[in-house]
Amino acid sequence: MTIEQQRQGLAFSGSGHPTDQESLRFRRVSSRMSTQIYHEPNSSTSLAQEEEQSGSEPTLELRNTVFPMALKKAARQVQQMQVPAQFNGGSWKQKRIKFVRQFKSNVREFLYFFSLWGKTLQKIGGNFGGGVQSYFIFLRFLVILNFVSFLLIAGFVLIPSIVFRSVGIKPESSKADVSSECLKYDPNPQGLVVFYEFFLDLLSGTGFMEYSYLFYGYYNNSVIVTSLVGSHFSYNIPLAYLLTAVFYFAFCLICIIVRMGKAARVAVTTGGSDVRSYSMIVFTGWDYGCLGSKATKLKQRNIYYRLQVDLEEERLKKHAASLTLCNKVTLHSLRVLMFFVAVGLIVATFLAIARATTFSQENSHVPGILGLFYTYLPSIVITLGNFLVPLLCDQIALLEKYPPSATVVVALLRAVVLRLVSLGILLFTLWKQIMCHDSRDKCNLCHYNHEDYQCWETSVGQEMYKLTLFDLLVSIALLVLVEFPRRMVVDHWSCKLTQWVGRQEFVVPSNVLGLVYGQTVVWTGALFCPLLPLINTVKFVILFYCKKITLFYNCRPALRTFRSTSSAIFFLAVLLFGWILALVVMIYSVAVIHPSFACGPFRSFFRMWKIVPESFSTLPEGARDFLFFIGSQAFSIPLFAISCVFMCYFIALASIYGKSVAMLRAQLKLAGQDKQFLVKQIEKMKPLSPQHNEGEQD
Amino acid sequence: MDLCFRSLKAQTWGINKPSSQRSSSTHIRLFYRYRDLAPQLVPLDYTNHPDVKLPYELIGSMPELKDNPFRQRIAEVFSEDGEGNMTLDNFLDMFSVLSEMAPRDLKAYYAFKIYDFNNDDFICKSDLEKTLNKLTRNELTEDEVKMVCEKVIDEADLDNDGRLSLEDFQHMINRAPDFLSTFHIRI
Repeated sequence: MTIEQQRQGLAFSGSGHPTDQESLRFRRVSSRMSTQIYHEPNSSTSLAQEEEQSGSEPTLELRNTVFPMALKKAARQVQQMQVPAQFNGGSWKQKRIKFVRQFKSNVREFLYFFSLWGKTLQKIGGNFGGGVQSYFIFLRFLVILNFVSFLLIAGFVLIPSIVFRSVGIKPESSKADVSSECLKYDPNPQGLVVFYEFFLDLLSGTGFMEYSYLFYGYYNNSVIVTSLVGSHFSYNIPLAYLLTAVFYFAFCLICIIVRMGKAARVAVTTGGSDVRSYSMIVFTGWDYGCLGSKATKLKQRNIYYRLQVDLEEERLKKHAASLTLCNKVTLHSLRVLMFFVAVGLIVATFLAIARATTFSQENSHVPGILGLFYTYLPSIVITLGNFLVPLLCDQIALLEKYPPSATVVVALLRAVVLRLVSLGILLFTLWKQIMCHDSRDKCNLCHYNHEDYQCWETSVGQEMYKLTLFDLLVSIALLVLVEFPRRMVVDHWSCKLTQWVGRQEFVVPSNVLGLVYGQTVVWTGALFCPLLPLINTVKFVILFYCKKITLFYNCRPALRTFRSTSSAIFFLAVLLFGWILALVVMIYSVAVIHPSFACGPFRSFFRMWKIVPESFSTLPEGARDFLFFIGSQAFSIPLFAISCVFMCYFIALASIYGKSVAMLRAQLKLAGQDKQFLVKQIEKMKPLSPQHNEGEQD
Repeated sequence: MDLCFRSLKAQTWGINKPSSQRSSSTHIRLFYRYRDLAPQLVPLDYTNHPDVKLPYELIGSMPELKDNPFRQRIAEVFSEDGEGNMTLDNFLDMFSVLSEMAPRDLKAYYAFKIYDFNNDDFICKSDLEKTLNKLTRNELTEDEVKMVCEKVIDEADLDNDGRLSLEDFQHMINRAPDFLSTFHIRI
């Protein structure tokens, strides 16, 4: 292949093209190899590689060459003259390759048509850059994840429940040996329901909403086993409920990890965002598709700002290196002090949340608007804390004087810890109340606090429902009451204050953390509120359109761009952290806390998990033996050994790729040096050659 | 007139792009864009390959190019005479390379030529300084420009000759995920 290339290169260099174009062809093999290893997603280059390997290069090589049009025309004419000689062998392959290529591009266009919000995302990316676009891509991923999870839950839990309930199958009451106190559960309100109470119930998940498919308490523990002639239909709703929840978690984990793998591949290919940042900005920073003088000026200011940020870091590094010992000590002690101040703020928020939750649970039976306020008190405190504490931490960060990139990372870490651990504190407080850590006597009868929580799972589900709803309401309220007025004020009233405040900027990290928080709430609550994924899908769709509207109408394009490649992995890692939190809650509920006696599919079980061993015992002999075998040591130890072998293989493969990258880089270096050496030799030979020619002619 | 253009397309675009309905309409569209720049100079019939060159001022006034700080270099690189005066072939070449279908190596080659202001096949410090000034509208100070140029050459120069050759440039471009989308003019 290389020899053919060389021959073609030499054949067409007649009209005095510079020699480096031929050398370009020599280099083509090595640069292609390096692009193969870097896993380039570019479709046309990979197609060209495919065609190269299948051996139909001559026609298509010309496409990739850098000769001007006239020369390509001449080359094409020469090839067409040669075609009859290659006709039989080459044409079927070429036709097949063309057909495959057409088919692939048609399929890709077709699928793109179906991809959700594709055009909108492109518009956002074109106007506001990759960072903002990555937020919307993340949001779209979460919408699809939630929708597919809802389909899962609907198929295995909701629809069978609806069918069995409509057929008239009554729930079996708990057979456990407990007093009738524990079996009491009456969620339906007594007497007439006042109209405004409808809204209060809608917002807090009580009343008519409590005893509905929305919450855990409504589902029955029906186990249907029919043995009609010719058909053996059996459906165990409690088992389905539990296994669907487990599978839902596993499915979400797989989706996140696959996505992280894709993002990690891109990050590894580009060698991380910190390496080569200057040359990236200079050579790939300019968007040639930028239209209009305003957009151009903005882009130029953007590049200027990015360079300034990097230069500022350099200056800070030099400054830090030149500090005296005394200055260093003061700076470090100041940083430690500020760290404790930030930790103190965060802990104060946690205490406030715990207090608010306890207060809200104690006063949950207050009627009316005040009662609504009390039930929403934890959500309000969490939202306020998540809004105020990062602002204060920003002010603290000004005193800490970290370099800019470290400041961003520290702020993000603080925000993540605040959001996710505040949710954990809420859940912990709820758990304390349900398991009566304060007043032991309430739990003696039913192993949980049956006086305050006749159906504790529904209460937890209601809390998660309220959190989700409040999040959405706050976003819409902020949009209508803060962002639109801000833009109107800034646009129509120009004074110093409005100039200083300016139009809003779309801050990607805090918005993404909001999404992660919302998704963690849904994961935590899915076991207790099976329709929560559906509610979340609708919520995220509304949020998408709200954020899009606010982006286009209220926000100015950011001067500070957000590096999207490394941050994609960071956001997925935070999402994974939220998933782990939800998993801990689920494991605790399933394996440690006694399910309610009065409601839900697990009312007659000691633990929710007990359904699995019980249904296990009804399996046929063969299946049971197989499952025991999988759980035994005879299977797991060889499995562990085999996975170790595979892991070693992949580690070895990765290190080999790393070594070949280094080798190719050295080869490129050497090739460059060779070229310089040859150029010097040619220059040395030049004075000699005219004399040599003269000698030949004579 | 469509026939004339289609014959031209058959000779040239058959080797550049797959012959699909979509691409032939793009070429015809580009021809009309070229013609609209100077209708009195550009004939409709191209079968006799007339030698028509549009001056740089007309090319540089196209809405897709007129705000681009590198428009002069783009026109110079793709024109035959190196001054920015483009024939139809040059025009089609330019938009073909800047389209989304062009392969990465081809784009990298032409990007290298655009940033090589003195046409010596190396991007040296003076080329980088000019590039930076165009990118930031001359807002960086002298020291900052020097610092950035030094950093760029440190990062990208593999053969340690103090300037970037095409191989260094291509090696660096291979690690840029968004080069293909930024080096792209929609027309």
